[in-house]
Amino acid sequence: MSAALATAGLFALTGVLFLLPLIPAIVELRLKRDAQALNVIQQYAGDIRHFSFGFRSYASDLLVLLEQCVAAGGTATGTLPHGDRYVLLGRPDADLLLPPGSTGKTCDLVVAAGTDLTLPGGITFEKEMYALRQLNGGENCTYRAILGDDGIRLGRASKVIRWAHAAKSVHVDKDCDLYGRISSDLEIELQSGCFFQRLHAPRIAFGSAASDMNPNAAPRLGPSTETVSSSVAVGRRLVDNDLEIAPGEVVTDSVVTRGGLRIGAGARILGSVKSNQHMAVDSDVLVAGSLISASTMHIGANCQIGGPVIAEQEMLIDSGSRFGTFEKPTTVSAPVLEVEEGVVAFGTIWARNEGQVVPRK
Amino acid sequence: MIYCLFAIVAVISLYTARHYWFTLNRLFGFQRHPYIDTDTAVWPQVTILVAAHNEEKVVSHILAALMGVNYPQKKMLVVPVNDRSTDRTREIIDRFCEEHPGRIRPFHRTGGKGGKAAALKDAMELVDTEVILIFDADYIPGTGLIKQLVAPFFDPEVGGVMGRVVPLNVGTNLLTRLLDLERSGGYQVDQQARMNLRLVPQHGGTVAGVRLSALREIGGWNDNSLTEDTDLTYRLLLHGWKTVYQNRSECYEEVPETWHVRVKQIMRWAKGHNQALANYGFHLLFGKHRATLRERIDGFLLLGVYIMAPITLLGWVLALGVFYEGIAPLHGVIALLSITAYSAVGNFAAFFEIAAAARLDYTRQRICLLPFLILGFGVSIFSVSRAFVSQLMAPLTGAQFHWDKTERFRTTP
Repeated sequence: MSAALATAGLFALTGVLFLLPLIPAIVELRLKRDAQALNVIQQYAGDIRHFSFGFRSYASDLLVLLEQCVAAGGTATGTLPHGDRYVLLGRPDADLLLPPGSTGKTCDLVVAAGTDLTLPGGITFEKEMYALRQLNGGENCTYRAILGDDGIRLGRASKVIRWAHAAKSVHVDKDCDLYGRISSDLEIELQSGCFFQRLHAPRIAFGSAASDMNPNAAPRLGPSTETVSSSVAVGRRLVDNDLEIAPGEVVTDSVVTRGGLRIGAGARILGSVKSNQHMAVDSDVLVAGSLISASTMHIGANCQIGGPVIAEQEMLIDSGSRFGTFEKPTTVSAPVLEVEEGVVAFGTIWARNEGQVVPRK
Repeated sequence: MIYCLFAIVAVISLYTARHYWFTLNRLFGFQRHPYIDTDTAVWPQVTILVAAHNEEKVVSHILAALMGVNYPQKKMLVVPVNDRSTDRTREIIDRFCEEHPGRIRPFHRTGGKGGKAAALKDAMELVDTEVILIFDADYIPGTGLIKQLVAPFFDPEVGGVMGRVVPLNVGTNLLTRLLDLERSGGYQVDQQARMNLRLVPQHGGTVAGVRLSALREIGGWNDNSLTEDTDLTYRLLLHGWKTVYQNRSECYEEVPETWHVRVKQIMRWAKGHNQALANYGFHLLFGKHRATLRERIDGFLLLGVYIMAPITLLGWVLALGVFYEGIAPLHGVIALLSITAYSAVGNFAAFFEIAAAARLDYTRQRICLLPFLILGFGVSIFSVSRAFVSQLMAPLTGAQFHWDKTERFRTTP
């Protein structure tokens, strides 16, 4: 082989080796298999009722048939366009939920009930459920999703896997597991032992004692502080270390600490509060603005917070504390949230990983 | 010469380590999204500034999108900042204003200093809300975006907010596809990692917000800056205000479709960044202010990203010089290692970051384009170096401050 040929071969080989990694790139450039913009859903607004709206739309034809069943006092079965089988209950007959002769306790039908319905315990509902009237769930039931145009009452130790929405109250008995989204246009009440993730309602009460509180009671934040709470514009006090606000002290500015923060019992803060380490809020504290911790947070008994409450790690809330008002709802959010019975919130409670209702200490 | 080369390799190695740190954090670390779950609140009054200079191709899209967001109508005022436009921008804005009475208050600017910062500075006479959001006219915000960008301002430590920029015209040509990958790496990995690690997420000046009281405290918009966003980031930081990044607050933008426009854009960014480095770099590292140690270091490294281009070029020249001069210890082995170090490992770190971003975005095939990124980097390194040289020469040549508007390519009405 001549030297020239060898050199040419070497160049050719080098060229091939150089081009080799470019082949998939050139193919992709020409075929444009993945050349769409990233999927940003422009219309998605984060509404907790997103899936319930979707289900209502999906089952809209079913609801027309359900009205006919209710008028006739009968029942009907059939198959939805996507292949799901359904049962329509125009009378309160829960026996139809399980196939005749079945020994198991699994219902694989989309259920739509047009009357008040009381379910037996221990059933797993693999498909969505719609209730035009009050739905009373039995103990140990598992639901994929529930849409109620009246109230929903879940029996002890029940589970909701994806979402539940009611036009009226959602009452959840002890020891239930609520994965995903639970919402109501009126109120949600959770008993102790319940686990939850995302809750939204004009009023959310933890434990029976909380629900006994007068929902129309005037908030203890006075008119002047409410004005401040609706604004994010007040002066700011920036502290580089730990800070302790004395019991009963009145702070008119917002406070930011680079360290930890303790707010003494009975203190009043007219602005917002942020700590970069643990925040301890003693009992009977009033904060008109928001309460933010970049770490953990413990809110003592009978506190009242006007604005959003956020902890980046764990948040513990003692009995009697109250978040927002009917007129000025707010958000309480932490990855891990432990709420004692007797707490009331107005708006959204969001435990990204796990929330739990615990008995009053 | 060899010690200079050693220093350059050391700096490049530092940036390489930083790329890996960010990427590994993004893949395996704890992800911070503290404000994204705030979906119920008494939302504050907000003013949305839309910077528009000859934006007839795009301005109607953003105004229509803003009229459709789910933020309480009575608490939101849109102020299109029409900066000396000579096309139909004014006419389009005025038409929207008539169609949506009380919701849009235009600011038509017919003279004054050029540049976005100067226009925003003048428009502040219409702003009296504590929260201000800023968009460039080619952006298309989604329904829930405004609430997401406002939510962090409930935190009294937050002075600035930045959302994620997502290119819309991805499939147009090779350049748009490369820019899509770069944006993906820059936001999905770089910005979010800085947020996770409590470093210095950068304010981008669009899909972004600023607190009025913080802006006043730092002296308002700096109309001498070519990149008012970078300038804002550092002045907020030095005054103890945090800028936070919201990776899930995504907004479509239009990226440049021609290399000429891209080169002008990146040269402006480079000049503005270098300007901020000169203004704040030393003070950030050694001055007495509120930034933490990690913010000082990361902030300085962030300021230095554009200066790295001429430094890398210098390194290549030095490495070749050392090699051919034969003055390197080990007879050129070090020089050879230096070249391979930052052409292989250094570049690979950035590639790794972009590949990780593509994975996090659940995109599959576009990752095949990765080898072409060398082309984008090549153009960038020479453009940025050219910008650096022209900046150095400006006092000698008497070149004036000049704002190059990014050309738009959208054709749909």
